[in-house]
Amino acid sequence: MSTVLILAPVIISNWPAIAVAAAGAASALGFTVKQTAQEMLQQDKQAQQAQTQQNVELELAGSEVLAQGLATDQRIVLTKGSMQIVVERDARGRCKVCASGKAHSKAELKQAAEEFTQKLTQCFIYDKVMRELKSKSFQVVNEEMMQDESIRIHVRRWVD
Amino acid sequence: MAQHDVEITISRTGEVKVHIEGVKGKACLEYAQWLTDVIGQVKSRQLTSEYYEPEVKSRIDLHQDLKVEDGAP
Repeated sequence: MSTVLILAPVIISNWPAIAVAAAGAASALGFTVKQTAQEMLQQDKQAQQAQTQQNVELELAGSEVLAQGLATDQRIVLTKGSMQIVVERDARGRCKVCASGKAHSKAELKQAAEEFTQKLTQCFIYDKVMRELKSKSFQVVNEEMMQDESIRIHVRRWVD
Repeated sequence: MAQHDVEITISRTGEVKVHIEGVKGKACLEYAQWLTDVIGQVKSRQLTSEYYEPEVKSRIDLHQDLKVEDGAP
């Protein structure tokens, strides 16, 4: 034994990497992707067109809608039964998870959002760590999912 | 060649435990710093006895003393 470190994860990344982690978390927790970013962007464009047709006199509406269109490019909507989870990048650039559903209490929604956030974090860190380990020529000796849902990865490399 | 092992446990909350094995001295700290940069912030760190062992180096020093003795041709 040499060193044991306990690290608190920090998620700083571009949207595609977070979206991949969100998709992984969704799959693990039984959620399905309701709308991809592209579908939502398309929907927003249609909404913009409809709005433009209805509000042709407002010139500034175009630029505002354009800003909304860009924002919705960074959002994923997931569903499981009557529950919906939205993962998005908010105006301050932070990743936000929002759970909603008519047939669920506030406590249930909070629990679902927390569970999803934790899973997203775990998936994100897993992806990042594996990428970095491969870049340093580490080979995976063993990888397993433990009973407490933690992921244990044993890697090795030989050094001259 | 030296074998460097790293065991990484990512908990369900995303907290990560890193166990670096077989790496001695300064090299161990370099691994620790690299993984900290990749993952996040250090909550705790424990250095074990192996850390304090000297790094293994394969080095052979060759010395040749040349003497010219008095009266030698």
